[in-house]
Amino acid sequence: MSISLPTYTRREMPLLGRRHRLRAIIVTGLRREFKRPAVIVSTLLGVALIVIISTAILLFAGLFLPGQALDLSFFFVPASNQTVLFFITLMASLVGSALIADDLNSMALTLYLSRPITHADYLVAKAAILAPLISLIAVLPLVLTPFVAALLGLFSWTIALQAIGLAVLLGSLFTAFYTSVTLLLSSLTHRKSYAAAGIFAVTFGLTIPAEILSISINNPALLYASPWEDYLAVARAAFGAPGGQIDWPWALVILLAATLVAASLTYLRMKAVEVVAG
Amino acid sequence: MFGEVRAVDDLSVAIPEGAIGLVGPNGAGKTTFLRLLLGLVRPTTGTAKVLGHDIAEGVPVRERIGYMPEHDCLIPDMTGVGLVTFMGRVSGLDADTAISRAHDVLQFVGVEEERYRKIAEYSTGMKQKIKLAQAMVHDPQLYIFDEPTTGLDPRGRTEMLDLVRVIANSPGRNVVLSSHLLPDVETICKYIVILDGGHQIAAGELRQLLSGSADRLRIDVRGDREAFAQRLRETGLEAEATPTGVHVARKPGVEGVIFGIAKALGAEVRYMGREIRSLEEFFLELVERNEAAVSV
Repeated sequence: MSISLPTYTRREMPLLGRRHRLRAIIVTGLRREFKRPAVIVSTLLGVALIVIISTAILLFAGLFLPGQALDLSFFFVPASNQTVLFFITLMASLVGSALIADDLNSMALTLYLSRPITHADYLVAKAAILAPLISLIAVLPLVLTPFVAALLGLFSWTIALQAIGLAVLLGSLFTAFYTSVTLLLSSLTHRKSYAAAGIFAVTFGLTIPAEILSISINNPALLYASPWEDYLAVARAAFGAPGGQIDWPWALVILLAATLVAASLTYLRMKAVEVVAG
Repeated sequence: MFGEVRAVDDLSVAIPEGAIGLVGPNGAGKTTFLRLLLGLVRPTTGTAKVLGHDIAEGVPVRERIGYMPEHDCLIPDMTGVGLVTFMGRVSGLDADTAISRAHDVLQFVGVEEERYRKIAEYSTGMKQKIKLAQAMVHDPQLYIFDEPTTGLDPRGRTEMLDLVRVIANSPGRNVVLSSHLLPDVETICKYIVILDGGHQIAAGELRQLLSGSADRLRIDVRGDREAFAQRLRETGLEAEATPTGVHVARKPGVEGVIFGIAKALGAEVRYMGREIRSLEEFFLELVERNEAAVSV
């Protein structure tokens, strides 16, 4: 008699690469965000309001902005709309404040970093969740406005396309700044409310005092402290709009430097977090 | 090195395949050792390899490791199956395989229809099972369990230990079990590494380590153990009374002497044989010896 038993061979499961792993975090993160009513409402409201205001300015430019030339410099007007600033801040605080703080609070960071990804991968994935949502406010309406203007025949397609290109660059700059700063603030605390308050503090706590003080002591250099004023200086130069009290190259350097410093500090902070705690 | 603190020092250990227990008092360096295994910290000097990969590589090491953390670390607003699938995808599984594996491992750990509920609503036992399932989803070669029975009631603890035992006995799968609960380690592991003060103070096959010296006998005596040990010493034998019995150095004819003393004292010898310690006794003995050596 002979008995033969089946031999068991374990089939190793092939694992996909890091790009796939990051995509999994990003897609899951975006899905979670778009299930939150606050995010849906603020996104829709923000985009709709900015597009409506911009289109209204466009259609009634002669009424609202007498003397405004209908050339590329016109598109500085929608770009400088303060609704953009408010909704970017709102979006960053609603979504971004929780991105890392929640993982620190629930200690889910341990789950992420015990997986085959690095700290940098984790941060890139978190940034890739936040950046598209901020860019919905910072880029999309500014792209739609010249597009609508060209469709209505108010501007030539040459000017509209130039404006679209500049809107993408400017919006991306502001998106990068807010993404970076928001993730830094979120990484510093376990409470997303603190991070959200920090985002409002960075936006309005710097902008409002800088504007008031620069006028009261007649020192425009204080406006460099405001990210919004820096953005406006760069936007003004990009669209060729007149006015402005601060130099755009320095404003651009400040925005880029702040973005890079915040990103580096976030990375260092995350490396310092004890993932496996005893 | 963490600042001025050397968390793990002079640790040279080749861990064989199978289930390995990692034990040590608080601050012994167990957590740092786990961080090293996961490739989350790098040794300041020396090298370490896990499953043939240098830990400095990090990502390839973690592809082969399933880590079950000690503390609660689950994402509360996700469902059980959602989280396990997500972790499978973050480990590199494609979407279809991740979902299929998530259901398989949840079935294995005993999470039934609850898998569709949010983790925030789970009991501690259920959370532990989800933590185990997420560690298993990508079918790793090495499992690291950090206090897997923490917070569980006796039934939950038994269930969890059974699951860990099944994994440990699976072909080609290795387990590192870090626990303060020494009976858990004793029932699961074949090998053990004991750390204290960042140093390895013992490592080897558990049965060998616990069997103690063949030159000593352990006598379980019903009666006054101290008096029994004293009488043995009076006959020139090296004897010591401990809570686990009377330990005596083996010599020719010692058995006769022991039974003679038992008869004289009216004590009952219930066991006499090779000295076998529990892991707890062995652990305490080692730690005390280590503390004494450090204080000298």
